[in-house]
Amino acid sequence: MHKVLIVDDSPTLRKMVRASLAGVAADLLEAATGLEAIEQLALSPIQLIVLDLNMPDMHGIDVMKFVRGHRNYKDVPIIVLTTRNDEASRRTAAEAGATTYLTKPFLPQTLATAARSLLEHV
Amino acid sequence: MPPLGEGCSPRAARTMDTFILFLVAGTTYAVRSREVQHMEMLEQVTRVPNAAPFVDGVVFSRGQVVPAVNLRARFGFERTPYDLRTRLIVVRDDDRSVGLVADEGREFIKLAADAIQPPQDALAGLSGRYVEGIASIGDRLVLVLNLKQLLSFSEPLVAA
Amino acid sequence: MSEGFFDGFLDDYFAECEEHLTGARRALLALESSIGDAAAERPVIDELFRYFHSLKGISAMVELRPAEELAHHLEDYLRALRQREVAVTPVGIEVLEQGIQRLGAVIGAHRSKQTPPSTDDLAARIASLAALPGGLAAPAQSASAAASSGERFWTCTFVPTRELMERGIGVDVIRKKLAEVGRIVDAAPRVAPDGTIAFAFTVATTTDDREALDELMADGIVLELAGGAATDGGLLPVAQPLEGTHFGSVAPSHVVRVDMTRLDELIQSVGDLVISRARLVDSLSRIERHVPSAEWRAIQENTLAIDRQLRMLREKIMRVRLVPIGEIFRRMPFVVRDLARESGRKVTLELRGQSTEIDKYLIERMMDPVVHLVRNAVSHGIEPAEERIAKGKPPDGTITLSASTVGEVFTIEVMDDGHGIDAAAVIAQARAVGLPIPLDPSDPQALLALICAPGFSTTADADRVSGRGVGMAVVKSTVEELSGTIRLESTPGVGTRFFIDLPLTLAITDALIGRVGGESFAVPQGAVREVIEIASADVRALEQNEVVPYRGASLPIVRLGKLLGIAEEPVERFHAFVIGTGSAAVGLAVHRVVGHREIVVRAITDPLVKVAGISGATDLGDGRVVLILDPVLIVRLVCDRAARSVGDASTWGRMLA
Repeated sequence: MHKVLIVDDSPTLRKMVRASLAGVAADLLEAATGLEAIEQLALSPIQLIVLDLNMPDMHGIDVMKFVRGHRNYKDVPIIVLTTRNDEASRRTAAEAGATTYLTKPFLPQTLATAARSLLEHV
Repeated sequence: MPPLGEGCSPRAARTMDTFILFLVAGTTYAVRSREVQHMEMLEQVTRVPNAAPFVDGVVFSRGQVVPAVNLRARFGFERTPYDLRTRLIVVRDDDRSVGLVADEGREFIKLAADAIQPPQDALAGLSGRYVEGIASIGDRLVLVLNLKQLLSFSEPLVAA
Repeated sequence: MSEGFFDGFLDDYFAECEEHLTGARRALLALESSIGDAAAERPVIDELFRYFHSLKGISAMVELRPAEELAHHLEDYLRALRQREVAVTPVGIEVLEQGIQRLGAVIGAHRSKQTPPSTDDLAARIASLAALPGGLAAPAQSASAAASSGERFWTCTFVPTRELMERGIGVDVIRKKLAEVGRIVDAAPRVAPDGTIAFAFTVATTTDDREALDELMADGIVLELAGGAATDGGLLPVAQPLEGTHFGSVAPSHVVRVDMTRLDELIQSVGDLVISRARLVDSLSRIERHVPSAEWRAIQENTLAIDRQLRMLREKIMRVRLVPIGEIFRRMPFVVRDLARESGRKVTLELRGQSTEIDKYLIERMMDPVVHLVRNAVSHGIEPAEERIAKGKPPDGTITLSASTVGEVFTIEVMDDGHGIDAAAVIAQARAVGLPIPLDPSDPQALLALICAPGFSTTADADRVSGRGVGMAVVKSTVEELSGTIRLESTPGVGTRFFIDLPLTLAITDALIGRVGGESFAVPQGAVREVIEIASADVRALEQNEVVPYRGASLPIVRLGKLLGIAEEPVERFHAFVIGTGSAAVGLAVHRVVGHREIVVRAITDPLVKVAGISGATDLGDGRVVLILDPVLIVRLVCDRAARSVGDASTWGRMLA
């Protein structure tokens, strides 16, 4: 069974993402901080990460850099959630290795479709 | 009131306020409901020596010591013993909580600001100082009280 | 767009917004008090940035555009502050405050389905602030890395495992535990050569307590005292925290912030427990004769245990509310400096006993009175330099503010080396405004009473008279409301000392309960020398007083019932509280003293019922108000009138008229 890791410090957002991915065939795991996200990664194989960029302890970009820098996880697809008018973050995210991004607000089905297609190619 | 931020859109121009009505010696009085903390039945009151003459004493109300102002005495009427209809109306003025002893509690009503007329000087037995205005509700006259004046104790309101 | 899909999360949205807004308001206050202090500003700016960023994100998800955009502007401004392109200014703080308010209003409007207020004007203001030139020269130091004195650095490595996770031990738990032990300077993931992931924390702590640290070892953490050298395998070199993993707003601390109202509720609950216990003991005493003695002894032991535990609980909660008086004292140098400048005096301020702890409530109430006394000392106490030199004093005046605790009493002293209180001037002023002249004009307490009397002086007068200003009446009433007392010592030409004594444990006290004519009264135990029983036959009349034989001499007695106008049946024997000692002792007579118990003191604050001689109220268990008497004051007032032979002091009203 695929595992998807939802990383966001906002509990509301985590709930919303979880709801959006309800129809996707995967176990949904959550992390509220960058360190916890990495911990989850260390403890079980993750096939997809949905990541918000602004985390209290470790910025999402650094989480991505870490993930991409680790030989075991460098190929895990990462969907980054950004906000409108955040061109700079999108660029940095792309450079840091994001697979794709979604702008808030997004349609739940958009996230679900992106997730499904990335999981298929795992 | 929503806890987030300040109030929402500004109210309509015709301001309505909610009032609580009560009876003292046959007359109906009103106090703004936002000035009222709560109303309760009154059993007994502990007398405080040398307090103002219209103060029956003190009671505990929600854990606080609150003076019980006998409105009959305050308005110059004879005191009557408390009965099952007597109510203690605990009001708030700045950081003071004060109880008003009324003969009977009545309903809540909404009144528009322009429905309250300023009191005329000629009204017998009343001092313009503690009545803020008079409203007509059906065939009743309701005296809207000025709490601050009512609760000040510098002079007697009505000649004893 | 996603019509309706995310609407089910609106409650979560509003709840989370509330948290962020509350946090932002708090952070803004913190920012306001740290303006100019780059090191202190930094973590707060980061915190604010994150709040606005989060608000932006979730507002975008629920498609509340106005909130998203306003939060976006605020975030931009915070980004500019963070990158030190602009500096924090009072105007900026004000705009941020408005921003937070407006944001709250917009969200609130969404919640109550009303039209949200416009945000354009504010957005424009914020944008212009963010674009202002005037950045800061020096780049900010990474504040958290600097060691405070006495701190040592430890590096801690935590390796997560599934087994630990199942036991509930994850990196977040570890972080919280470390935060309890010290200040987390850095936290970052590390990769071992074989690919294993670990987390490295750098913690600064003053604890030498190896035990607390060792406790963590058991949970799979490796703890090492930083030697400074970087080692591979993942330990962090201490000197340089990793860029981008700055800990910022998750700033740990040893302190838990507790809402004052929560503490008050706790104390109220303890008070309620005390009352319930009292009621229980009452009920039990009534069934004592029906209970076999073995059972009764067991019951006694249990009630004693409850007694002990309640006492401890009360003390512990009181401790939580204790705060060092340095909080008030901190303000004083500014007060003194401003005033000294205004009045052209040169004044030195000395502070003593700043770490003395006092109940938080007391601090808040005493802030203004102490400031007032200090102001008075500067503007009315200290003489101009020439005068001082002529008297052989140093040209600069000295004001000493000190705090100390002796037993259950906390004393604040305001002392100045100025010209002292001019008794003659005070008496003259009293005469001028119609206040009664004391019997002994040299008695400092009598002078103090005059100075504190309402109507004693206007601000204009205060300059003429070497007394004090209008606020002394308020100082006195505040102190008395807190069950405290003010004392005065003054030597003309040398200086003045004001003492404020406050009881430390405000809320609960030991009292004796007396009954008169069916009513109960409480008398604080501390004021009572002893309780005696008197035979009515032994009472002698002496002029207008009544006396009884007592310890070989005569004890005047004052009948409480008579004072209060309570009708009493004649009795053969009755009780009296002996107040005062030696020749000043007086007996306050009641019908019976029925017991001694702990009472919860509730203040009587409303002016309508604030009466001299009544120091508060309590509930003895039946919900009725029982008045707490101040016997010392009552006795003093009665004797004062008696000494002046002014009419019959036998009823309270006339006594205090």
